[in-house]
Amino acid sequence: MSAKNVTLKVENLNKNYGSVVALSNVSFEILKGEVVALVGDNGAGKSTLVKCVAGSVFPSSGSIYLDGEKVNFHTPGQARDAGIETVYQQLALVDTFNISENLFLGKEVKRTGLSRLFGILDRKEMRRQALQAIQEFNATFPDVNATVETMSGGQRQIVAMTRGAFWGKSLLLLDEPTAALGVQESKSVLEVIERFRSQNQMSLLIISHNLEHVWQVCDRILVLRGGNLVANLVKKDVTKSDVVSHITGAYSK
Amino acid sequence: MKNFRVTGIQARLLVLIALVVMFSLTTPYFFGVSNLTNIIVNASVVGVIACPMTLLLVARQIDISVGSAVALSAAVFVVMSEKQSLIIGLVSGLAAALFVSALNVAAIVYLRVESIIVTLAGLIAFRGLAKVVLDGRSVTINGWDYIGEHRINAFGLLKVPVPVVIFMVMLLIFYFIMRATKYGSNMYAIGANPESARLSGIKLEVQVAKAFALMGLAVFIATTMTVSMTGIASPTSGQNLEFLALTAVILGGVGLGGGRGNVLGTCLAVLILAVVDNALVLRGVQSFWQEVARGSLLMLAVIFDQLSRKRDKTVRMGI
Ligand SMILES: Nc1ncnc2c1ncn2[C@@H]1O[C@H](COP(=O)(O)OP(=O)(O)OP(=O)(O)O)[C@@H](O)[C@H]1O
Ligand SMILES: [Mg+2]
Repeated sequence: MSAKNVTLKVENLNKNYGSVVALSNVSFEILKGEVVALVGDNGAGKSTLVKCVAGSVFPSSGSIYLDGEKVNFHTPGQARDAGIETVYQQLALVDTFNISENLFLGKEVKRTGLSRLFGILDRKEMRRQALQAIQEFNATFPDVNATVETMSGGQRQIVAMTRGAFWGKSLLLLDEPTAALGVQESKSVLEVIERFRSQNQMSLLIISHNLEHVWQVCDRILVLRGGNLVANLVKKDVTKSDVVSHITGAYSK
Repeated sequence: MKNFRVTGIQARLLVLIALVVMFSLTTPYFFGVSNLTNIIVNASVVGVIACPMTLLLVARQIDISVGSAVALSAAVFVVMSEKQSLIIGLVSGLAAALFVSALNVAAIVYLRVESIIVTLAGLIAFRGLAKVVLDGRSVTINGWDYIGEHRINAFGLLKVPVPVVIFMVMLLIFYFIMRATKYGSNMYAIGANPESARLSGIKLEVQVAKAFALMGLAVFIATTMTVSMTGIASPTSGQNLEFLALTAVILGGVGLGGGRGNVLGTCLAVLILAVVDNALVLRGVQSFWQEVARGSLLMLAVIFDQLSRKRDKTVRMGI
């Protein structure tokens, strides 16, 4: 296992909100192409960990390395530029924008030549690339030009995930991708994750409360409890009830 | 959304045409080239301010200090050009307008105070400052009547007053910015879902600061127009401007929620307000009642905004 294969390395990460310790000395690695699940009870620090890696929250101390290089993200834009994409729990979509406008939010394609000086949008090109991305992930939408406010929860989730997969180069972070969804919609979201995985390019870190769901797609499981990383388990070596006992703190060796 | 936008514009156009037809039939002297031209000329200053005001409200910001900013810029412009020269006056007037927007940006973007509070303070303070500069009197200017007096020959067909030309150019520029550029698109995103915009890497502070800078330029342009059309700077220069521009933006379909609407709607609303104002004057309605009418129009605009937003929501839940 050479260092070359490590996509993300987190070292002694700490995050305090005032006197609340959200993360305490968290260290782990994610290998290239690996799908890792991040589980833990409410308030265990999962979202905080993802936000630190995504640049929307700045850690109190500790280091983060991406593809072997130390990174210090002060804004979400910097993390995106480095190749980390995040699908937030609240999705971070603009309701009044359509799929292609959301896909290119903050990274709009400008026309070339003199028009570039004025920052003129190339809507045609963005639409073309958006349609291609949708096809690539086998996603289907009744109307690709509709604004996302008219879409179902599952469709919105898939728009956000398509955006993450479209821009992500090294790492895709998914915060509760199936939490708000029904059975059928969860199934199609898991299928999309499975497709990411088979392409084997990006590493994935998936937060979930639903062990059943992550079990279908992950290679490894990280367990957070009270801000501490209490277990780092390879899926094929453990059972679901092992993981549950780690989450609740009932596990003893 | 696209269809809705178009019908919104069409609805406002119909209202404008209906009002013009109605007043033409019922109000003497209303229908005629000189009066109709007059209406548009009087609407131009409001229109110039209403364009950047549209951009601000789209991004959930507001500037109610513009009327006072015009007063300050006009005072500095006229006093300096009487004391020194026209050029120095113009440069000083521009500096005053940009000074106001720099203060607004500093308080809103860096100290993170709500823009309505910051610009409310400005509304009071800058007019006070204008009175200090003018020593409480009106000051006349010489040699600055071009904008107010001249007309530009359009295709040899009609002669368009300069203020109207300036208004139309502003309208085109802002239509282009908001419709075609990355900046415009990001401003809509900021208004619709600020947190989503931030998480996607858009720098909210920078974008909002740019909009206030554009407002500073518009304030200066409006100042040169007002001074040229009235020939003076006075403690009441630019009075009610913020109110009129705001009413137009809300009536024009942007609303207080942000993230929607455009300058075409605003432009039609500016004309609707100017037509109503003119008809009230021609019919000899007492000026107190004119004020009541203006206030009621703003109220009406806000109510329409609420209703249209509710309708949007029911549609969303229905699907
Ligand atoms: N912005 C904040 N300010 C103060 N405390 C915070 C903030 N964000 C999170 N916390 C606290 O940090 C701890 C970890 O929160 P976090 O959201 O990371 O948990 P989580 O594992 O994602 O929980 P959940 O499963 O409920 O989403 C909690 O105690 C929470 O109250
Ligand atoms: Mg969470």
